[in-house]
Amino acid sequence: MGAERLRSFLTSRRGHLAFFLAPALTLITIFYLVPLILSIYISLTPLKYWQLNRYLTDLSHPLENYYRLFYLVTHHPDIGKVVITTIVFTGLTLVVNVVGGLLLALATYLMEERFSLFYRTLWLLPRMTPIAVYSLLWYYFFHGSRFGILNSILLSLGVIHKPVWWGVDEKLLPWGAWMILVYVNGLVGVSFGMIIFYSALRSIPREQVMAARVDGATTTQLIRYVLIPSIKWHIVFVTVWELLSLLTTYAHIFLLVEWGLIDKWWGTTWALFVFNTAFTAQALDQGLAAAAATVLVAIGLVLGLITLKIMGFKELMIEPRGEL
Amino acid sequence: MPSRQTIAVIAVIVIIVAGIAAYLAVTSHKPTPTATTPQTPTATKTPQAKLELTGNLKEDLLRVAKVLTSNGIHTVKFTVWGAGDPNSVMRTLGIVEAAHRLNKILEENGVDLKIVVEQRFERGGGNELFKEFLAAYEQKANPDIMANSYIHLAALASQGLLLDLTPYAEKYTGLLNDFYPALLDAVKWHGKIYAIPQDTEARPLYWRKDVAQCIYRKTGINILKDLAERVKEGKVTWSTVYHYAELAKKTGCAEWGMIHRKGTAHPDLIQFIYAFGGRLYDPKTGKLVLDVPAVYKWLSVEYAFARAGLTPKNMMSWDWAKQIHPTVVDGKTLVFIGGTWHWTEWQTKPYYTDPKTGKKRPLTPEEVAKYFYYTLFPAGEEGGKPVTLSQPFVWYVAANAGKDNPKYQQLSDAYHALAFLLLVKASDPDINAIHSIISSHLPVRRAAAKLLRDKAWIEKLAKLQLDLAPEVKKAIAPIVKATVNPINIEFLANVSSYLEYTHLTPKHPYYGKLASIFADAVDKVLRGEMTPAKAVKYIIAQVKADPDLAKSVEIVGKIPENWKFPTS
Repeated sequence: MGAERLRSFLTSRRGHLAFFLAPALTLITIFYLVPLILSIYISLTPLKYWQLNRYLTDLSHPLENYYRLFYLVTHHPDIGKVVITTIVFTGLTLVVNVVGGLLLALATYLMEERFSLFYRTLWLLPRMTPIAVYSLLWYYFFHGSRFGILNSILLSLGVIHKPVWWGVDEKLLPWGAWMILVYVNGLVGVSFGMIIFYSALRSIPREQVMAARVDGATTTQLIRYVLIPSIKWHIVFVTVWELLSLLTTYAHIFLLVEWGLIDKWWGTTWALFVFNTAFTAQALDQGLAAAAATVLVAIGLVLGLITLKIMGFKELMIEPRGEL
Repeated sequence: MPSRQTIAVIAVIVIIVAGIAAYLAVTSHKPTPTATTPQTPTATKTPQAKLELTGNLKEDLLRVAKVLTSNGIHTVKFTVWGAGDPNSVMRTLGIVEAAHRLNKILEENGVDLKIVVEQRFERGGGNELFKEFLAAYEQKANPDIMANSYIHLAALASQGLLLDLTPYAEKYTGLLNDFYPALLDAVKWHGKIYAIPQDTEARPLYWRKDVAQCIYRKTGINILKDLAERVKEGKVTWSTVYHYAELAKKTGCAEWGMIHRKGTAHPDLIQFIYAFGGRLYDPKTGKLVLDVPAVYKWLSVEYAFARAGLTPKNMMSWDWAKQIHPTVVDGKTLVFIGGTWHWTEWQTKPYYTDPKTGKKRPLTPEEVAKYFYYTLFPAGEEGGKPVTLSQPFVWYVAANAGKDNPKYQQLSDAYHALAFLLLVKASDPDINAIHSIISSHLPVRRAAAKLLRDKAWIEKLAKLQLDLAPEVKKAIAPIVKATVNPINIEFLANVSSYLEYTHLTPKHPYYGKLASIFADAVDKVLRGEMTPAKAVKYIIAQVKADPDLAKSVEIVGKIPENWKFPTS
């Protein structure tokens, strides 16, 4: 009876759905849902110094960390900078990543294949370089002494007369720090959009492009009326994906702040604040960090949904109306 | 449908969390510790009085051995972790050597017991090792003994991870009294001893002799005349240093007057608080202290130096290897707030640009001695005392020391006592002196400091004619060859006397947070973003923003009115 039931379930539409979705759902559960639940749970405990046996079962003051976080946000003289930096950094880098990725994809799509491949590989380099090496490269590029590459170039050209501390100089803050953050992270992130958009552009039937050309469309018109509308859903996907990634990114930023290249507060994003609270030897306050991380997840969820709504995700999910 | 999806996701999360919470609430039988303030040492393990020590090492060792061998134990394994610069290998090898010496005693007395030590030494600071220890303790994979900075003591003891050594150590008063008193304070927390000092350093103020001579040539003012003595007597204050720095800059003898560390405020700059007669900790309340007048005066010094162009405004962002060290070793500053370890660092790292070849190279010991004069950190103002600050490394014994050996539950007392005896032996003056010489740290006890002046013994060390475990001898041979130098040993012997003036930063679990706030404030006054008064308010606001920190910090005193720097 049981085997019969199982067979009929597996052959049904729901059964097919379950079968094909199971691997993805399992991965999502293990790598997203479980850590998320753990994070929320930890935020309800006073966990610190990684003493799991001692603190993990202590739920006597479940909202204590949220209270501490609220108190911190309302009283800390510099936490406002962290919030603003997170918003500006995420917003600007998102634009750079999506628009930059799109421009690169269009450029490589329109150029000859042999140049295109070289060009795309070049843009992938920042993503392939280990984080520490890549960050070190930019550390020396933007360094505020005359040893900094940017400074030495500008000094020799006579554009500036004394070295500029790009990321920490009071007169340039906060934009000095933000620009370095956006620049460094933008260069890493832009290749993701480029790859997705490029492969999407390649999948547009050649006939469509040729027909447009035959009809006398200029390159701008081709891009505007044929190429971009054809990859709209890829743009939606990359935007949402990058938005969520940027909200939680901290690795490069951590090193740049740690090495003193950018201002500690105008260079710290919320994700880095979470990391520092949980992992630096001075803090090791995992309960508070988990609370801050949970808030970040909630914000990410809301922003993700808003973006999907604005960009018309609903329309994408509508059943196709068939061939016109 | 986004809205329905959202509700569904939130509902699933809430249900799962509630489920886990309910499960835990039902299944947890044992009462859970609710210690949210780390000041309570209740969880630390106190050894039972079953195995009392006498204070006679040989007698104690044989007693412990008897307990173990009568229970069929003939090999005891301990693990030791340590971290530091590549030359600080004795932090772990010291325990290996101690085991070798204890094994010899056991052998001579016909006892069938062998102590085996497994060591792991990591290059770098102790912070990573501290974090690893915390995580490993959960899995019972932690070492039995760890050499690490004393700053982690409060955090480790408050979590019950350290063995209370008090009942053992109290019997070894001879050894305890030989340690420099300040260092003994470093291993105590809430009146109990949780570690044994291993090494330390001091923070001299380095003065460039060539810059001082240049000033003398141009102005006739001899800065260096009896300087060390004048600093010691409190006749040279930070106002004097300011005037000297001004002279260096005005005469063109140096580009800068004073250079100091980057990044964090502790502990080099914390010396200012002590130099201005301030304090950071109140032993009566167990709270940290924000000494407003002293902090204000410290920040005023930084502010004045930066405004006069004597210290770079961006000092806290300078690069150690590319800016700070080259500026100091190339003689572009009059003074440098440094540490004893810099003396040998300048001899091993290529910071110096040779004027003849134009190439970078390390300085020779003779050049370091030729260029640098050193004194204590001067008093903040008249009537004050000079200071220095130390951050000793200590040997910790884990509360579960000996856990990897048989019958641990039954014999834990014997294992704990044995671990302590290892530390006693590892504190032998020669082991401590060898470590000091080869790693440029200061000895922690007076008997070891004495050895630094014993030429015959030093000669033996240079030729490695000392009776050491073969493994230890082999490991330190290349370091001994490179480091045993009369100039460096003389320097160490001289600065060892600074330990009589030394201060320590508090062993409070939240001290790190407070120090990090100080660093922010220093950066802001140097850059001119805030005046010293505003920066003090900023520190207070940051302290109050963290409820835990606010509870742990006592804010004392007010910004002194009409106080100006330089004072004369």
